[in-house]
Amino acid sequence: MSLLAGHQPAGVPGARFMDPVVLARIGNLELVARAVCDGFINGLHKAPYFGASVDFAEHRGYVPGDDIRRMDWRLWARTDRYYIKEYEAETNMNFSVLLDVSKSMDYGSIGITKFDYARILTACLTNLVHHQRDRVGFVAFDSEVVAHVPPSAKHMDTVLHTLDKLQPGRPGKLREPLHKLAEHFGRRGVLVVVSDFYDDPEAIVDAVTPLRFRGNEIIVFHVMDPAELNFGFTDAQAFEDLESGEQMPVVPASLRKEYQALVRAHIDALQQKFSEVRIDYSMLDTSQPLDHALHRYLGARERKLRTRQ
Amino acid sequence: MSFLSPLFLLGLAALAIPVLIHLIQREKKQIMRFPSLMFVRQVPYKSVQRRRVHNWLLLLIRAAAMLLIIAAFARPFLRRNDVPVVPGTGARELVVLLDQSYSMGYGDRWDRARTAVRNALAQVGPGDRGSLVLFSSNAEIAVRSTNEQGRLSGAVPTGAPSAGATRYAPALKVASSILAESTLPRREVLLVSDFQRGGWRGQEGVTLPSGTTVTPVSVTNAVTTPNVAVTSVTLTRSTFSNQERVAITAAAVNRSEQALSGGTLALEFNGRAVQSERLDIAANGTASVAFQPVTVTGANMRGVVRVSSDGLPLDNAFSFIVSPAQPVRVLLIDNGATGNLYLTRALAVGDSPRYDVVVRRPDAVTEEDLQRAAAVLVNDVNVTAALGRRLSRVLERGGGLLVVAGARAAWPSEVDVLPGTLGGPSDRSRENEARVGGLEFGHPVFEVFRAPRSGDFSSVRFYGYRTVTAAPGAQVLARFDQGTPALLERQVGAGRVLLWASTLDLSWSDLPLKPVYLPFVHRSMQYLASYREPAPWLTVGQVFDADSAGAGSGQRAAITPSGRRVALDDEGGPVLEMTEQGFYEIRQRPGQSGESEAAVVASNVDPAESDLTPMDPKEIVAAAMSNSSGIQGSAQAVPQTPEAQERSQRIWWYLLVLGVVLLGADTLLSNRLSKA
Repeated sequence: MSLLAGHQPAGVPGARFMDPVVLARIGNLELVARAVCDGFINGLHKAPYFGASVDFAEHRGYVPGDDIRRMDWRLWARTDRYYIKEYEAETNMNFSVLLDVSKSMDYGSIGITKFDYARILTACLTNLVHHQRDRVGFVAFDSEVVAHVPPSAKHMDTVLHTLDKLQPGRPGKLREPLHKLAEHFGRRGVLVVVSDFYDDPEAIVDAVTPLRFRGNEIIVFHVMDPAELNFGFTDAQAFEDLESGEQMPVVPASLRKEYQALVRAHIDALQQKFSEVRIDYSMLDTSQPLDHALHRYLGARERKLRTRQ
Repeated sequence: MSFLSPLFLLGLAALAIPVLIHLIQREKKQIMRFPSLMFVRQVPYKSVQRRRVHNWLLLLIRAAAMLLIIAAFARPFLRRNDVPVVPGTGARELVVLLDQSYSMGYGDRWDRARTAVRNALAQVGPGDRGSLVLFSSNAEIAVRSTNEQGRLSGAVPTGAPSAGATRYAPALKVASSILAESTLPRREVLLVSDFQRGGWRGQEGVTLPSGTTVTPVSVTNAVTTPNVAVTSVTLTRSTFSNQERVAITAAAVNRSEQALSGGTLALEFNGRAVQSERLDIAANGTASVAFQPVTVTGANMRGVVRVSSDGLPLDNAFSFIVSPAQPVRVLLIDNGATGNLYLTRALAVGDSPRYDVVVRRPDAVTEEDLQRAAAVLVNDVNVTAALGRRLSRVLERGGGLLVVAGARAAWPSEVDVLPGTLGGPSDRSRENEARVGGLEFGHPVFEVFRAPRSGDFSSVRFYGYRTVTAAPGAQVLARFDQGTPALLERQVGAGRVLLWASTLDLSWSDLPLKPVYLPFVHRSMQYLASYREPAPWLTVGQVFDADSAGAGSGQRAAITPSGRRVALDDEGGPVLEMTEQGFYEIRQRPGQSGESEAAVVASNVDPAESDLTPMDPKEIVAAAMSNSSGIQGSAQAVPQTPEAQERSQRIWWYLLVLGVVLLGADTLLSNRLSKA
């Protein structure tokens, strides 16, 4: 897009979501989030604000142990049988974003780093959720938990503030912090994991899966820079690993095909493995707008609401 | 061509430097920071490193210069006498080692081996000398260092192989000693064998003199027919309507790749077939066959378990001896008043050996009782001088005596056989009870308690004991916690005396209630009666000691399975080495009117030898010739003059100059290229 030509990242706050690079220039996350979400919501046919009312879903036969308060006595009077009334799930739920702030996220070849993109994504999701009257929380982690905002209806500002202060700096690991967090998210809700997932697919899925154990709905966003996907470098030069500092002489032209195949295989493997454990996975290219990510979230939330209580 | 400093050749690794310069250094630019090299690293290394070489000529010049300089530093020189020494000159000393272990009887191995030996010995010329060494588990020189063809060919064995197992080390040691004495310039060893894996245990410290060549001649052939061996039998004794019976279980192993089905395993006693069982064994499998119990009718029943014939016949039969179990005869002298309940109960338990206990009061002991007893147990009795003298005579002829010193025990002072002097009783019932410690675990009585968790004497509580002062020459085997002896031993004549300073009933201790009581009483009685379980069979190579096995006395002779008569007492005591398979008969007073059979010994071949798995002969050759390599050349090298040496080493100089010239050319060329 032409908007991104010659821009400087980390500029004044502004709207970021039409094009991520443009959004990256806006320092105020709240503003960005609001701009994006409103635009996004206006385009939807169906309002994303799901009702807070308790909707009747169906009847079910009484089983000893069921709450008597939910017994349909009128039905009993008519049929002389015990039925329980079932409702749609409670609508106010917990929502948390688990953001990877490891050093490898601090990379961008098109004017926006993966970290900035992820940050905007987080802000938008938080904003969207907040307007749905759900509780928002936030966790930043690299090899350990860096920042933690517990889910609450009043924490929108705290989340944005925390998000604004974060800087990626250390090498990351998925397994330890996520396993630790899995014990923490007791109440069922939606968890969004945002990372660049530089690890073995098995290990990644193994790290993320425990978050599901208490009934949480998981959405995984895999953030990648276009350069990471295409490896469009031309000059032979030494490449330095951002996390380990390891250097390696590389002739990009000679290994581009193999590299692309490996990345493709990695993404495919993640896609397949996450779908095996019924976790919603999407790959986000930082050159693409955020609509896709927001759609994903809303879809997942809808599924969550359909579960019976 | 060789090198004086070959270590410098390691510098060849420096050849990589120009290559790297060409590939990497030219492309040096700023560093590209990238989130993760995870995928880059997975791309095969070759494709990462492969770059186009921009100037082949420059690369070749640089590499050649480097190569020449390194070669110059390694100091190459020409060896004038690089011509290999031909080992065909001069007279030779040939030692032929012929394996005559019983595995050579498999198939036609033995015939081929003898043919190979005859051919080798036939080539011993008039100036040469040849020896023939026959070996199995040990080696014997059949003929030593001669060039007479008649003696050499006559020494090649004509009969079947021996019953021994294969061991290469003794044969090589004999060959080494023959070669060490030789003055002939060429030394050769010809090793004719089937090279069984079991005969060589790696480096056995055998090294032949330097310059010896070892030529292995393997007569191994493929194991095509089943090779079944009977490896052991188990004898389980039982008593049935007052008759002793023995149940025989035979173990057979098939050491070939062919399964055996429909074979038979037959049990014979004294030459008559008794039972026969069907035998099926899978390839490389084992089987165990249990025969019906057989009544033991007399001493020295000669049993043979025989498997149907196969490729290796010698391991098909397994011999053993069955004799009626010999009980340990114990005379228990007891007052009757004190409890001998625990002792008699303890001695009534046990099958191997059984204890035949006769209980007598001190005044009712007859001479016959003393004669038949192998061990006498004096249980807390006041022994009179007369009884004491009679008991000492038991000791003189090799019997044993256990004196239990309770409250009533007394021993006549004029009969000096006890290992200690009995003092007064020590009452520990009112204070802390005494414990036993300091056991001599090396002694046969306490050996069974040596291992951890195999009996704890310290848990026994003693409420009273007699204070005993050890006599000179007595050995204290156990002590009470205050240091006074608890168990003492003394040798008297051919017999042994044990003195237990407390009781063996409940009056002074709770020992009879402890798990250690039964083994302690049994081991004491077996030790005093010098009981030794007779071995039902020996293996070829083992030595039979007639005295310790109790096989007769005086002059004895053995009749070997092949019918030879060997005098036992000729040299080194009445011992006999098993060399054949079958039954050795030990006879007393041979050649005299009262000649009688004293014992029969069964001898079996080593079952490990029936495993025909071959090894690589080079392993033995390499171990035996480890001293020989390289000596030949230096022995025959002609010393060079210093000038000749200098001439042969001057090459490095040219190499160095050429290398420097190339480097100069490289500089010129690269300068020109960079300008262009």
